Parts: sequence; structure tokens; C-alpha cells
Amino acid sequence: MQMTGDETAPQKALVEFREIGKTYPNGTVALRNVSFQVIEGDILAVCGENGAGKSTLMKILAGIEQPTQGTIHYEGRQRRIADPNVAGDMGIGMVHQHFSLIRSLSVAENLALGQEPRRGLLIDRRAAADRVRELAQKFSLDVDPNTKVGSLSVAAQQKVEILKALSRNTRLLILDEPSAVLTPQETQELFVQLRSLRARGVTIIFISHKLHEVRALANRITVIRSGEVVEDGVLSEMSDAAISKLVMGVDVTRASRNQRDLSAATPVVVVKKATVATGDADRRIDAIDLTIRAGEILGIAGVDGSGQEGVVDLLCGNVQPDEGDIALLGKPMALATTLDWRRAGMAHLPGDRFQIGGAPHMSLVDNVMAGSHRDKQFTRGPFLRVGAMVARTNELIKTFNVRCLGPREPLNSLSGGNAQKLVAAREFSSNPKFLIVNQPTRGIDVAAAAMIHGELLRLSQNGTAILLVTSDLDELLQLSDRVAVMFDGRIAVVLENDGLTPERLGPFMLGLEKTS
Amino acid sequence: MMDLAASLLSPEFFAAILRVSTPIILVAMGVLISERAGVVNIGAEGMMLSGAFCGVVFSAYTGSATVGLVAAIVAGMVGGLFMSFAVHVLRANLFLSGIALNLAASAGTILALFALTGEKGISGTLDSEVLPSVHIPWIQDLPVLGTILSGHHILTYVAFLSVPAVAIFMMRTPTGLRMRAVGENPEAAKATGLSVIRLQLQAFLLCGVFAGAGGAFLSMGYVSWFSQNMTAGRGFIALAAEVMGAGGAYGTLAASLLLGSVDVLAIALAGEGLPSELLQAAPYVVTVLALALYGLRQAKQKTIGTVH
Repeated sequence: MQMTGDETAPQKALVEFREIGKTYPNGTVALRNVSFQVIEGDILAVCGENGAGKSTLMKILAGIEQPTQGTIHYEGRQRRIADPNVAGDMGIGMVHQHFSLIRSLSVAENLALGQEPRRGLLIDRRAAADRVRELAQKFSLDVDPNTKVGSLSVAAQQKVEILKALSRNTRLLILDEPSAVLTPQETQELFVQLRSLRARGVTIIFISHKLHEVRALANRITVIRSGEVVEDGVLSEMSDAAISKLVMGVDVTRASRNQRDLSAATPVVVVKKATVATGDADRRIDAIDLTIRAGEILGIAGVDGSGQEGVVDLLCGNVQPDEGDIALLGKPMALATTLDWRRAGMAHLPGDRFQIGGAPHMSLVDNVMAGSHRDKQFTRGPFLRVGAMVARTNELIKTFNVRCLGPREPLNSLSGGNAQKLVAAREFSSNPKFLIVNQPTRGIDVAAAAMIHGELLRLSQNGTAILLVTSDLDELLQLSDRVAVMFDGRIAVVLENDGLTPERLGPFMLGLEKTS
Repeated sequence: MMDLAASLLSPEFFAAILRVSTPIILVAMGVLISERAGVVNIGAEGMMLSGAFCGVVFSAYTGSATVGLVAAIVAGMVGGLFMSFAVHVLRANLFLSGIALNLAASAGTILALFALTGEKGISGTLDSEVLPSVHIPWIQDLPVLGTILSGHHILTYVAFLSVPAVAIFMMRTPTGLRMRAVGENPEAAKATGLSVIRLQLQAFLLCGVFAGAGGAFLSMGYVSWFSQNMTAGRGFIALAAEVMGAGGAYGTLAASLLLGSVDVLAIALAGEGLPSELLQAAPYVVTVLALALYGLRQAKQKTIGTVH
């Protein structure tokens, strides 16, 4: 007899965490007293903010990290999961957020790695390929064993990663934010595959912070906040509001945009047929036309590497176009350097706060001063006025609610969200005419993200033209007045955001549709 | 000038290329293994020098060329052990550790030579052995091919046979596959359950085997003595050959032969009255040119390769 419904199936625990704690050698407490069960046959969603400890807990279960306290029981027996091989032998497979595939190796070689079938001293390549075909057929995940992984699309690589995790008689599959790199359509397909895996008896744990995905897929939810389990229960018994409150510990109101007609507003940035044909392939752009008006938020969507970074490079002065024209408030900018752009009123919140946006080992004061260290108010002759600099930093820390020990601390002592708030404070406070924000809330907690969203909307109401590049479609649709979708270095379409949905954007992101 | 042309086309010229390329091929194969495992071994030159020295000393004291060869190989492996200890245990910088090994080997061999013989330049007083040459039946009787292919030092044949062996090892065996995985993406390899340190240690040791044998060829091949810094940058030329060969065994063989040919050509031209200093620089100049060309090609390929 086959059991189908959750309620009728026996509630047998596959994994039980008992008082798991993890303290890193530097004293950071990642997990504290974590106890809960993973029921066999469930799809369990593990939710929590970035840095809450979800990934750490899953890495412990996959044998990549060791707990400093507590025990794990698997099928009723206490087990020590010393390394990923032990986890594999136990039937635990993990799909990592950043794929653990070797790009220059074939699909078959990647799956065989570490447990290669042999013929004599050599690898039995045919057996390795047959093994992939067999697995692919068994789990209905279509991949060619002899293709090099590096030549596959991101979605196909994820399939390979899932097959790899399933390749050792896997009974428990862990996925760390599997949808982060996928388009909405690809995510739907992934979910269909995950449900069919569950029907085959595979228990699934997936980490996510997207509530609608959790609803679509999971039947149970465990919420982790600051390294502790704050909720563990059946998903259908909990409201969205309750979950989001549990995740963040406070109620966060989402900033929302008013529908506005900006067609009469002054064009601030005008790009005509701009082409950049040199440099990294995924930063090249081809005959881009763009207009961003005063007070408008123009969102750019696209699969990562479709040319979004190229547009950012072009409009902050990192590169100059090989062809085409750019104007900022009527002034030609095609040959302008970054300094020219900044002097003309551009500000830029870069995608990586610890690489480009800030200097991680330097103090908050130094980071706040970057770019304005020549301003008269901060200099006296050849010397810097340190007092004025510190005062300025304290002012920004206060207005942007940056949680820190003091202005002299290094930037990397801050959490991701607070570091981003500090860099944003520096950029936003210059009252820019034109603001570029690139992945403004990637990897930061929901409260900090809400604060940055609110600031962006406030700036746009004050007339700043904003270019928003983000791979988070919810964020894109929440903030943008218009959305330009990029594919292969070109703008596939520009859409007014009057009730746009992610599904509407998907075909353009994949290059299936375009309006030229 | 006619004489020169004749000597360049003579069988002896081609035989000389095989001879001069031998140590470069051997060391380049070792470097290839270490490079593909993600730990490019700058210390190859030092390993080679230690091998050359230990080969002479051990063969002189035991009277056995085989013991000398084994000692040379062990000396190379000890160098590999040093590299792994420095990089994996002490977490030292890979390149600085390699440079340290080279400097230590250069000075250490001179010190040991002085302690053993009282000489600082050359081991002339040590009565060391030479590894045998091999005359291949049938082939040695052929007119031109016989001169080119037969009668070489045994390590020359070993060097050429090691090329397909290394190719098969890297591409077709589980250990080779794992080494390539570790070299390309150590984090991913670790998540798969591979031991990055163990595989890189093995790569260092294998590199030591090849570098030690390459050193033994220098001091126990056509000469029977060790002289200070007798490797003369061949470890670095092997590094260049591996880069020019783009990490493939056959490409590396081709690059080694090219660099060996330039060396032989320089010797041949020296007889024509060209300044010898200029000619001695030739292999290094060719290395730089080849690497520059290779770099250009890489830059082009990178941009072509990444277009979706």
C-alpha cells in the first residue's frame, strides 16, 4: 500500500538534531542549542535571514563542518558525520548555493569524482557515463554525460549538481537557496522535479528566504533566527505574516511605490546606441538605448551576465563606449571618467560592498570619506580635519541606523546589512542627480533591505533618476517604474511596470521573446 | 656557411636535440602534475639540483649508478615534502616557498660539496658512476634513424616514454582526475569529499620524482660530476615549457623540444664565431617570446571562450 498524504503517513524522524551548537574559533556563535526533527518523506523549508545559521546547520548535516556541541541522530542512531564522504555513505546529498562542480570536467567525470568506476588502473569512462544516464533516467533529469560542465547553462548545471547529490543512493537531499540563480520558469521546473523526487521517497530540506517558494514547495517549516530555532511546525497552520515576523523578529513594513506618470519628466540620462565590444564577454553591450528621467527608477532585469554589469560600467565611467552617445542632463559623457561622472552628479552603490563599495580593513570614517576627502569642509591646508570627518561619519551612522561599535572600527567588523547601509549612506547623502544601485540588498537582512528600499523611493520622489540593477525580481518589481530586460548584451524589451509579473519577464530573460 | 647547413641537417644535430631536451621534458612532466593539482612548483629547479648532487655523491660512495639514481629521486621527493610542509602545514606562500627551496638547494649543495670534497666548484675528486646508454637492436643499424634514435642515455628514453604515461595518468586515472579537480576548484573538491592536501602532497612528491631524475641526467648522463648550479635555470625553462604546453603532456613535450632545439642551435652557431654570450641567452629569449605569444593567444581564447 502506498502512502500519499502527509497526515496519514507515519511521523518517523529521519534526522534529529539534538542541542547542536557551533562556535567558530574567532568566537562567533553561529548556532546555539538547535533541536528539531526532519520527518521522513517531508519537504522541509529552513527559513531565516542571511547569517541566521541555516547554511551552517546544513553544512554540519552534510559533513562539511563539525558542530562544537550536541549530536545528530540519523535513522534513530547517533552518528558523527566526519566529512562529506560519510554523509554520502549515509545517503545525505547537498546541492550547494555556489555549485561544487568542476567546470572543465565532463558531467560524468563530475559525478564520478571521488568514487570513480575502474577498469584496471584507469577510470571506466563508459561505466561512468552509463551511471549518469541511468540516474538521469531514474530521476527524469535530462543531461548529457559527456558535455563539459562549464559549457552548460546555469539551470543545467544545477540539474547536474542535483544528480550528483542523488548519485549515492540518496535519501535526504539538501538544497541551499536553489532558486537564487534561476529564472521564474526554471524555478517552476525545478519544483516539479523536487516534488517528483519526494514522490520517490526522497526527503528534502531546502533553504530559502522567499516565502512564496516555501509555500509552493514545502509542507513543514523550521525558522532559525540568530542561530536558534524559533519555530518548527506544519506550514499550512502558519500565516505569511506570522512567518515573516518569526524570521525577522520584528514586523517590517515593505516600502511600496506609487504608480506615477513620468513621461513628461526631464530626461537625466540618455544613452543612444552605445556599444562596448571589448573586455569581458559578459560585460559587453550592443547598441543600448536607454533614457532615465528625473524621479524615475529604471530597473534592469536579466540572467546574470547578460550585460547588466556593462551598463553599470558605462554609466559610472568605468568604461567608455566604442560607439554611441551618452548624455547626463544634456552634457555629453561618452568620454567622461568616473571623476567626471561623480562631479556631474552621479552616485554609485556597487554590487560588492567589500570589494568595490568599501575598503573592508579600513575604518568606517575612512570609508565614509572615500571620494570626499578633498572637500573643503574636511581639509585644512594639506591636512585632513579628522574631527569633522568623525562628526560626519557619526551623523550618517545615526541617520541610517548603522549598528556598529564606533566610527573607528573597520568596515568588515559590521554585518553585511550594516556595511551596506554605511556605503549606501555615503552614496545617497550626496543628493545625487543620477544614482546607480547594483544588487542593493543582496545577502543582507530583511530589515536593512527595507530601509534601503525606503531610501531609494525617497530619493526618487525628490527627483533623482535611479538605475536599479538586481537579480531579485521581487525587489525589481517592487521598486521600478519601468523595467528593461537584457539578454546577450542587448535590451530585449522595456516594459512599464503596471502590474508586471516575474512570469512576464521570464521569456525575455531567456531570449525567447524580444521586441526590437 | 655550407658547413653550418650541413651540420644542422646532420643526424647528430637531431640526436643532440633529444639529448638536450631530456632534462627539460622530465622536469616539465613533474611541473605539469603539480600545476594541474593547483600547486605550481617554482621549486623544481632546486629539486633538480639536489637530485643532480645526490646522484653523484651516492653513486660515488656506493659504486652503484642505480643507487645514485634512486638517491636523486629521493632527493627530489624530499624537496616535494618540504614544499608540502611549507605550503600546507606552515601555510607559507607557494611561490616564496619555491624560491626558498631553490636558494637553499643552490647554497646547500655547494656547502655539502665543500664538506665532502673540500672543493666548492666541481665534484671532480668524487669517483661517481654514470647511468648506461641504450643501443636499440635493429634500429641502431638503420642509416640515419640509427644515429638519431639509438645510443641515447637510458633517461632519454624514460623521458619520452613518461609523456604518454603522464598524459594517461592525468586524464584517465582516478588520481589524475582528482588532482585536476583539486587544482581547478579546491572548495568544490573538498565538498565532494576529496582531501585537497593529500592530493597536492602526492603531486609535489611526483614532481620531485621527475625533477630528481632530471637532475640525475645532468650529473650522471654525459658527464660524471656535479658542478655548482649546474641546472642553470633548466627548472625554470621546464616551468615555461609546461605553460607553453597549456598543461597538456604532448604540448609540453613539443614546447620542451622547441626550447631544447634552440639550445642546440645556439651551440652549433657558437662555432660560427657569433658571440657566445648572445647565443647562451637564446633559450631564455625564446622562452620569453613563446610565453608572450602564449599569453596573447590565451587572452584571445578567453574572450572567445566565454561568449554564450
